[in-house]
Amino acid sequence: MRYVYLEKSDLDKMIQHLKKEHRVVAPVAKENLFVFADVENAEEITLEYLPTILPPKKYFFPPKQVLGEFTMGETKMSSTTVEVEPTVIFAAHTCDIDGMECLHTVFRNDPVDPYYKKIEKEIAVIGYECMFPCDECATCVTMDTHVPKAGYDAMMTDAGDKFIIHINSKKGDALISNNPIFKEVESGTAKEEIKKLRAAKLKKFDVKLKASYSELPGIFADSYDSDVWEGVGKRCVSCGNCTAVCPTCYCFDMYDEVKLDISGGERKRVWDSCQLEEFAEVAGNENFREERSSRQRHRYYRKFDYPVKKYNKFFCTGCGRCTRACMAEISLVETVNDITKENKNV
Amino acid sequence: MCDCCNESNTKKQVIEVDPQYSPMEGTIVKTKIMTETEKFFEIKLEGGKELGHMPGQFVQFSLFGIGEAPISISSSPTKEDKSTFEVVVRKAGVFTSAMHKLEEDDKIGVRGPFGKPFPVDDLKGNDLIFVAGGLGLVPLRSLINFVIDKRRDFGSVDILLGCKAPKDRLFTDEAEGWNKLTDINHACTVDQSDPEWKGNVGVITTLIPGVDINVNRTYAVVVGPPIMYKFVISELLKKGMPEKQIILSLERRMKCGLGKCGHCQINDKYVCQDGPTFTYEELKGLEEAL
Amino acid sequence: MSEDKKKVRIAFFDFACCEGCQLQLTYLNEAFLGVLEHCEIVNFREVISDKSDDYDIAFIEGSITRECDVERLKKIRKNATYIIAYGSCATIGGINGLRRRYTDEEAKEIVYPGREFPLEAGWPRPVHEVVKVDFFLHGCPVNNDEVVLALKSILLGKGYTPPTHAVCVECKLKENVCLFEKGQVCMGPVTRAGCDALCPSWGNTCYGCRGILDNPAEQGQTDLLEKYGYTVDDIKEKFDLYNTCKMEADKNE
Repeated sequence: MRYVYLEKSDLDKMIQHLKKEHRVVAPVAKENLFVFADVENAEEITLEYLPTILPPKKYFFPPKQVLGEFTMGETKMSSTTVEVEPTVIFAAHTCDIDGMECLHTVFRNDPVDPYYKKIEKEIAVIGYECMFPCDECATCVTMDTHVPKAGYDAMMTDAGDKFIIHINSKKGDALISNNPIFKEVESGTAKEEIKKLRAAKLKKFDVKLKASYSELPGIFADSYDSDVWEGVGKRCVSCGNCTAVCPTCYCFDMYDEVKLDISGGERKRVWDSCQLEEFAEVAGNENFREERSSRQRHRYYRKFDYPVKKYNKFFCTGCGRCTRACMAEISLVETVNDITKENKNV
Repeated sequence: MCDCCNESNTKKQVIEVDPQYSPMEGTIVKTKIMTETEKFFEIKLEGGKELGHMPGQFVQFSLFGIGEAPISISSSPTKEDKSTFEVVVRKAGVFTSAMHKLEEDDKIGVRGPFGKPFPVDDLKGNDLIFVAGGLGLVPLRSLINFVIDKRRDFGSVDILLGCKAPKDRLFTDEAEGWNKLTDINHACTVDQSDPEWKGNVGVITTLIPGVDINVNRTYAVVVGPPIMYKFVISELLKKGMPEKQIILSLERRMKCGLGKCGHCQINDKYVCQDGPTFTYEELKGLEEAL
Repeated sequence: MSEDKKKVRIAFFDFACCEGCQLQLTYLNEAFLGVLEHCEIVNFREVISDKSDDYDIAFIEGSITRECDVERLKKIRKNATYIIAYGSCATIGGINGLRRRYTDEEAKEIVYPGREFPLEAGWPRPVHEVVKVDFFLHGCPVNNDEVVLALKSILLGKGYTPPTHAVCVECKLKENVCLFEKGQVCMGPVTRAGCDALCPSWGNTCYGCRGILDNPAEQGQTDLLEKYGYTVDDIKEKFDLYNTCKMEADKNE
C-alpha cells in the first residue's frame, strides 16, 4: 500500500498514538528472556529480542478460554460470548507473523472458529523486521520466514536513525495515519531503501538445515520409520514445553468448571499437548501414541508433513522456540538434519 | 499473561458468538439395559427436529458439569420415526457412567452429527459383508438397517457378528429378525460359550471362510475393537478383497468434533472429519490407525 | 451423589503431620461456604470441637506411623464411602519419609541425642500403603484451588484424578524463565503438576512435594541433569525430601 518514515526518537509518540484506541502488547524483557506483555510506553519495549517465551498466539487463542456458560441440568449454554479488545501486537517478528498465518488457516476454515474470528478481527499486527539472526536454534531462513512477506498490517524496518514502515492493510492504514510523526515517503524510494538494507541483512543470516524448503516434504515422507525418532523419544521427558511455546500448536482439551455452589459453570477449552501421555488415549486405555518416540514424531509431522498435505503450508516457522525450551536438549535442527542425512545417504 | 497491568482505556467488550459449542436439547424417550455394561437410549431432539445423520456418523453428548463424549449413532436415518435417534453406550468412564444413570424423560445435550458417513453411494449395487465385533455392531446397525430399508439398492448381504460371550450380544431381538429375512445371511459366533448357547464358538474370523465372496462386486464393512481389525482384514485380503472395498470405522476420543482439538488425529487424518469411517486403503500403513 | 437431597458429611482426620494442610483449608473461607451448601463438616480438629463417626468422605492428613494409627485408619475406612488422602505426608509419605533412611536407634540419636526414653515413632507410610485411598490431593501444603476443584468433582460424581504430567507444563504457560537456565536445580520436570507451578513462579525451585510422575522418562531425566551439569546423586537430597517413601517402596518391589 504505502510507506512512511518514523524517526526513532518518535517511537514513544507512536506507542502513545496507538494506545489512544488500542491495547498495545509488545516484547518486554523478563529476566534474561522476553515475553509479549502490555506496555505503557516505548521504554518498556525491547525491539531486539530473542523470540518470546510464548508466541503471540496467546492473544488469538488464549491458553484458557470460556466457550460458554451453563446452568446445571440444562442442555443448552446460557450464553456464548467472547471478550475482545482492540489490540495492537507491536514488534512481532516475521516468524511469529507466519505462525499467526498458520493459526488463521486452521481457525478460519472448515468450520470457522467463532471465538477466534471475533478476537482476530480486533487485533492489528505491526511487525518488526529482524536485521540480525537470533541464535543457533532458529531455522527461519530455510522456512522462508526471515523476510516480511504477508500477514501483517504494518511492518517496521530499521533504517539507521529512522524506521521505514510498510503499511499493508486497511487496518494498518487506519493505524499509521493522522499524526505528523508518520512522514509519507514515495514507495519507490522506500522500496529501494529496504532492498539495500535487506541485501545487507541476508548476508548475516545463514542456513542451518541441510535440507531445503522444497526438499523437506520428501524427506519427511520417507522418514516415518527412521530410527531418529527412537533416539528423540529416549531423550524426551514429556514436559510439554515444545508444544506450549510453538507458535503453530493449537491442540486443546475441553472441560467443565462448575461454580462453588454447583449451580452452574463454564465450559472451557485449554491448551493441550500431544506430548502428554494421555493425549491420544481412547476408551479401554488403548493409546495409539503410547511411546514418547511416536509422540515426538507426531509433533514433527504436524509441522513438516501433515499440514503440507492438508493446508499446503509448513507449520514450522523456524522460530527455534521448541529447541530453546526443550528440557532434554532435543534440537529441531539436529533432528531434521539427522533424518535429512539418513535420507540423502540412501 | 498479566492482564491486571493493562490500564489502557480501550473498550473491552464481551460479544456474542455463534453458539458452535452449545448443544441442542435432547430428551431421552426410551432406555433399555442391553448387557451388564451396555445401555440403549432413544433420544428426541427439541421440537422433534431430525438429527439429519447418515450411517457411520457420531454425536457429541453433553452433560453440564461432567463434560462431553463422542458416541456412534446406532439407528438408521431410514427409521420410521424420524424424530428420534438411537445410541448404545458402554459404561467405561466418567461420562458414560453418568449417562447410564439417565432414564426416560431426562435431558441430554447433543452436538452433531459429525464425521464422514459410510460411503453408501459406493456400496449401492454391490454385495455387502458386515463384520461386527462386540460394540462394533452399534454403529454398524445404523448401516445394516439402512440397507434393509433400501434392500433393492444392494446385492447380497452377509452379517457376521462376534462377541465374547452369549450374554454380551447386542440387539438380539433384531438379530432374530435378520434370521427370518430370506435375503440376508446372518451368522453369529462367541469366543466363549455357555451351557445354553447352541451357535458357533470361535473368533469372528472363523465365519469368513463360509462366505461366498465375488471380489469384483463386494464391499466389506468391518467395525470392532482394534485387535479384531488386524485379523479380519488379513482374512478378507486372503480372499482377494481389494483394499478400497474394505470399510472400517475407528474409535477415538474426539473433544471438539470440528477438526481442531487434535485429540482424534491419526497421522495426517482427523478421525472426526476424515473419518470415523475409512477404507482400508486410506488407513493402510498408518501406524497410529489400527 | 448430586441427586442426594441429604448433605454429604465430611470429616477431617490427622495423623503424623504438622496439620498445615488443615490450616491451609481454613484459608478457603468463602470458597468453602459455597461448597457447604452441599456438604456438612462433622470432624475438623483445627476448627470445630464436635466429633462424629457418621461421615461419607474422610480427608486424611499425615503419614501412618504407629500400630494404633493403623487401627484408627482402618476404622475410618470402614465408616467412610470415600477416603481422600491430602497433603504430601498422606499421599506420598512426604517429609516423614526421611525417617525410613534410619533405624530406630539412629533416628532417636539424630532427633533426641543423648536422651533416654522409649521411642514410639514407627515406620512412616503414605495412607494408601495401609488402606485403599479413593482420591489423592497432593502437595505440601495442599493447593486450595485443587481441593475445591476435587471436592466439586467428587460431589458431582466425577471423582478426581490429579494431573499426570510434569510441573513444567504449568510453569511454561506462566512464561517463567526456566530455573535450570538460571543455574538452579528444579524438580519440576519429574514432579506431578497441579500446583500451577507455585514455587517456580515465585523464584523457588520445585521440591517434588506432589510426588514423582507415574511414568518418568529415565534416560531423558538423566540426560536433562547432565545437560545442566548435574548427576542423579547431586539431586538425591532434594529428591528424597518428599519422595523417600516412594523410592524405598520402588527398591523393594
